[in-house]
Amino acid sequence: MLLTGLGLGIALGFAMQRGRFCVTGAFRDLWLTGSTRWLTAFLIVIAVQSAGVFALDAAGVITLDPQPFAWLATIIGAFIFGFAIVLAGGCATGTYYRAGEGLVGSWLALIFYALFSAISKTGALSTPVAALRGITVEASTIHGVLGVSPWVLVVALVTGVGLLARHHRRRRPSLPLVSLPARTGGIRHLLFEKKWGAFTTALIIAALAILAWPLSWATGRESGLGITGPSSNIVNYLVRGDPELIDWGVYLVIGILLGSFVAAKGSGEFRVRLPDVTTTIRSIFGGVLMGVGASLAGGCTIGNGMVDTATFGLQGWVSLVFMIIGTGAATRLFITGSARIAASPIRVPADR
Amino acid sequence: MAQYTLETDGQVCPFPLVEAGAAITKLDLGDELTISFDCTQATDALPRWAAENGYPVTHFDRVGDAQWTITVQKA
Repeated sequence: MLLTGLGLGIALGFAMQRGRFCVTGAFRDLWLTGSTRWLTAFLIVIAVQSAGVFALDAAGVITLDPQPFAWLATIIGAFIFGFAIVLAGGCATGTYYRAGEGLVGSWLALIFYALFSAISKTGALSTPVAALRGITVEASTIHGVLGVSPWVLVVALVTGVGLLARHHRRRRPSLPLVSLPARTGGIRHLLFEKKWGAFTTALIIAALAILAWPLSWATGRESGLGITGPSSNIVNYLVRGDPELIDWGVYLVIGILLGSFVAAKGSGEFRVRLPDVTTTIRSIFGGVLMGVGASLAGGCTIGNGMVDTATFGLQGWVSLVFMIIGTGAATRLFITGSARIAASPIRVPADR
Repeated sequence: MAQYTLETDGQVCPFPLVEAGAAITKLDLGDELTISFDCTQATDALPRWAAENGYPVTHFDRVGDAQWTITVQKA
């Protein structure tokens, strides 16, 4: 049964790589270009998944069990995590799938992210992290606070996101979008060459995110998609050798790595790429802060931003807001205000 | 009409996009800018940037494994 995690992870890694689904990019674009196209795609995943999750809950397949909201740790952790993903060049899943594309910077970010997740959850930093997460309020979900049925929120979210998606689909750029020339046909073209639309990719990821719930539940891991916990489990397993730590989530993240590798290799997009010195240092520090931030916040862009939000958890939505603010701060510091953007185009001599 | 090149290989997103945006401001109308890049996400971001800014794309292709080139005209 644990193998369903591997299968789902492979499908997820494949879809994310081919669809260029990057949550860091979605948050960063807000501050960099003001574009909400990828954020809309991300919200589609949340909205569709919320309908699926509450349907599964109503059918008794899963039972949502909201926890008290650790507000202070969530706010601090989410800001740190949002800041860190700009440094690392990808969020938790983004780092996994870029690692599968052969980016050595993402390998480093991934290693330090997993290591510092373990340190923060069960290691040297676990005491302060647990103390901060002990500061809670009784409220745990938005529908709980409002005293309404979660379906009111599902309908409101699906409607709002639907309108936003329609707005983007109607807005056409002034010139047609250019695609790479096709070299293959049939199923191979569809899987490894054709450009996947942002919203199509979002719908595929939403379907996988819904499917994750019952599959994970069946193995005793009672939650949906998650990245930080499994990453921490891998480190703990490697150093302690306790096979109990290998759960559905561990298979899931290994699957993401495999799936993105297959997608990248099949489409000629895999190459081992070494980062320069600045990118190397940023990847390492980004990974460290991602591990600490996600452990404090109780989740990453996926666990909190995409999954807890779909259950209308306060932790998920507060986290989403503060991750976006953190991303904005790092974008100002390291991208728009960066001295690196000094590149001048080189003129090609006319006689060439 | 002059030709310019911008080398961004080894830079992760969004730097190819940010640098292309900065570079094109230095060109005259009608000049062409060829951007080499190896960040996968830019295969989505750069053509969209060109289309939204009204810069015609005169060439867009793979050069090798995870390596691409795109040429846009300042218009």
